Amino acid sequence: MNIADCRNFNDFRELAKKKLPAPIFHYIDGGADDEVTLRRNTSAFDDCDLIPNILASVGKPDLSTTIFGRKIDMPIFLSPTAMQRLYHPDGDKASARAAEKFGTFYSMSTMANNSIEEISNISSGPKLFQLYVHKDKSITDDLLDRCKRSGFDGMCLTVDTLVAGNREKDHRTGFTTPPKLTLSSLISFALRPSWVLKYITNKKFELSNVKKKTDKGTNIAKSVIDYINEQYDPKMNWKDAEYCVKRWNGPFALKGVMSVDDAKRAIDIGCTAIMISNHGGRQLDGSRSPFDQIKAISDAVGDKLEIILDGGVRRGTHVLKALAAGAKACSFGKMFLFSLSAGGQQGVEHLLKMMHDEINRNMILMGCKNLSELNNSKLIYRK
Amino acid sequence: MRLKDCHNFQDFRKLAEKKLPSPIFHYIDGAADDEITYSRNTSAFNDVDLVPNVLRGVENVDLSTTIFGNKIDLPFYCSPTALQRLFHYDGERAVGKAAKKFNTMFGVSALATVSVEEISSMIDTPKMFQFYFHKDRGLNDSCLERAKAAKFDVMALTVDTITGGNRERDLRTGFTSPPKLTLASLFSFATKPMWGINYLTKGKFELPHLQDYVKEGTSTNTSIGNYFSTMLDQSMNWKDAEKLCAQWNGHFALKGVMSVEDAKKAVDIGCTGIMVSNHGGRQLDGSRSPFDQLAEIVDAVGDKIDVICEGGFQRGTHMLKALSLGAKACAGGRLYLYALAAAGQAGVERALGQYKAELERDMKLMGCTKISDLSRKNLRFRV
Repeated sequence: MNIADCRNFNDFRELAKKKLPAPIFHYIDGGADDEVTLRRNTSAFDDCDLIPNILASVGKPDLSTTIFGRKIDMPIFLSPTAMQRLYHPDGDKASARAAEKFGTFYSMSTMANNSIEEISNISSGPKLFQLYVHKDKSITDDLLDRCKRSGFDGMCLTVDTLVAGNREKDHRTGFTTPPKLTLSSLISFALRPSWVLKYITNKKFELSNVKKKTDKGTNIAKSVIDYINEQYDPKMNWKDAEYCVKRWNGPFALKGVMSVDDAKRAIDIGCTAIMISNHGGRQLDGSRSPFDQIKAISDAVGDKLEIILDGGVRRGTHVLKALAAGAKACSFGKMFLFSLSAGGQQGVEHLLKMMHDEINRNMILMGCKNLSELNNSKLIYRK
Repeated sequence: MRLKDCHNFQDFRKLAEKKLPSPIFHYIDGAADDEITYSRNTSAFNDVDLVPNVLRGVENVDLSTTIFGNKIDLPFYCSPTALQRLFHYDGERAVGKAAKKFNTMFGVSALATVSVEEISSMIDTPKMFQFYFHKDRGLNDSCLERAKAAKFDVMALTVDTITGGNRERDLRTGFTSPPKLTLASLFSFATKPMWGINYLTKGKFELPHLQDYVKEGTSTNTSIGNYFSTMLDQSMNWKDAEKLCAQWNGHFALKGVMSVEDAKKAVDIGCTGIMVSNHGGRQLDGSRSPFDQLAEIVDAVGDKIDVICEGGFQRGTHMLKALSLGAKACAGGRLYLYALAAAGQAGVERALGQYKAELERDMKLMGCTKISDLSRKNLRFRV
């Protein structure tokens, strides 16, 4: 099996599983607790149906939209995800280049293995930075200022990781960053020698954006969970978020909003967007899926800020359903990380091409000429 | 397993799988993307229950109904399906003769492998021609004229294939028309030698309605998805449909209507019927099932045109439920295609006979003696 054989989420997942040492694969693949929310994020799309219109003479549908002040060629983009060099030696460079090629957003995590400056040097495409508020405020300020200087278009503040979720697969596999060899994981690394070879022969693993401020996660083998619990400020509140919005002074989103009340408050503190997300089911198991919640949020605030649906998207039709329910765009993490693991930049490009073609095909089958024609009238929820 | 062991839809399906090379079986059996809509088409029937009436005196049951001005003896008929001689060497000859025996409508596809002239010389019972709007206007005119001259009763314009669906099983098996031997599919053809012998010795594979105009499908291998995307006119609109309706000047239906507004427009342009259909889940995955959508459409236009429910039927009770909601008749493709593949004309006759016997039995159990006795009073939707 190779990249050309990958035609859907599961194909990419299977190929990634073949390429990655088990602890790393399961770090992407796993969710919190019993993974009930992780599964619901996708299955929620199956509880409503699309109603197409016929004889609409669609021609070539316009898939473009505008988010964070940038026009993008299709209503999907790459969610910020940490430590991409674990999945492929090119890491963020591969995803940034692939996203630019398809005219959409690449997003950088605070915990990226490439620096803000490095990525802005190689990509002039739309870029979003994902911020964690650290206990050490100077880390937060430093990240905001560097992104501004480097020409990032948008900023998103993650608000659903005040404490780490219970990712049991990571407990079992002993996943750490940087990867640590333990007796139990030895065999899973030994089974993927080409991954190990690339990992040790390429640039040293580091958390490039925060390495000057803290050596945690770079020099000392830490589990991600310990890192989150030690470095992130659990006292973060609306004032802190407002401070970040002001300091950024540009398109700003809260990532991880789930309640209507919080969506309204996001407007009050000056956000231009929210990302409805439960962190891919990796934090609070049992929390509602973004798609189940989007209509209520869209009805309340859809005309005042951009709504991004983050989580569970596997298919072009999922994107269409999310847009019909009120999203401006969708983002995904797992799906593109599997494609990155499976084939680096080429893998991510293959995925984006596949998703583009699916959205394009399904827009034609829906009889829609542009994304604004996707509205509530095209959806019926099953009772 | 033999024909006499086939007692229901799933039995025919199993026997067909034994007889057909796997690319051909999966062409029938597969659908778009994750096949969510395909499975919903049938499971939708299970969300509603029948409520019988007792002591009605039901020894004689009349299953006849009138659609498109023709009285047929059964409230269901054979939907037009492409490429039937790939499934059994007799193809449309077998299905046509079986339909005649039961005096029900026989749908012939534009992609049929037996000509309208031959079919019309063979059977005098009601016939429907299914039409794809091609870019080649000469081909379009020729189809209409030939069907008219061959005394076809109904013209059905398919409106849900404006681009090819993402049928992943076909991508994996490499299914094309005409079938192409690839290294990957060699094994599946080699293990079904009888199919190969029949295919090579029982007359040349042809698409008689198309081959004078296009090479694709006969002398050039093409997948069906690709055929839709490249040969059909994607600019097709309501004006085109209205013109075709006038040009045909007889009973005219749109096949693949799903929205209420489109159903109303179909009335406006002079259609005498519509098939509520999502093409057996083979086009837009995530679209609503015909049965889920039926009531709204019947309420809007059921008193003006014939509303046919197409897709998902595997049992007589499924048909009773659709007829109770107000469908004038039921139609299906897989309904008889597995049986065709399993045993040719004898297979189709056995399948149609079983559905008829099921309907008769179930009508009696419902306390109904004629189709018009069925109404929504017989149904309760689960909440």
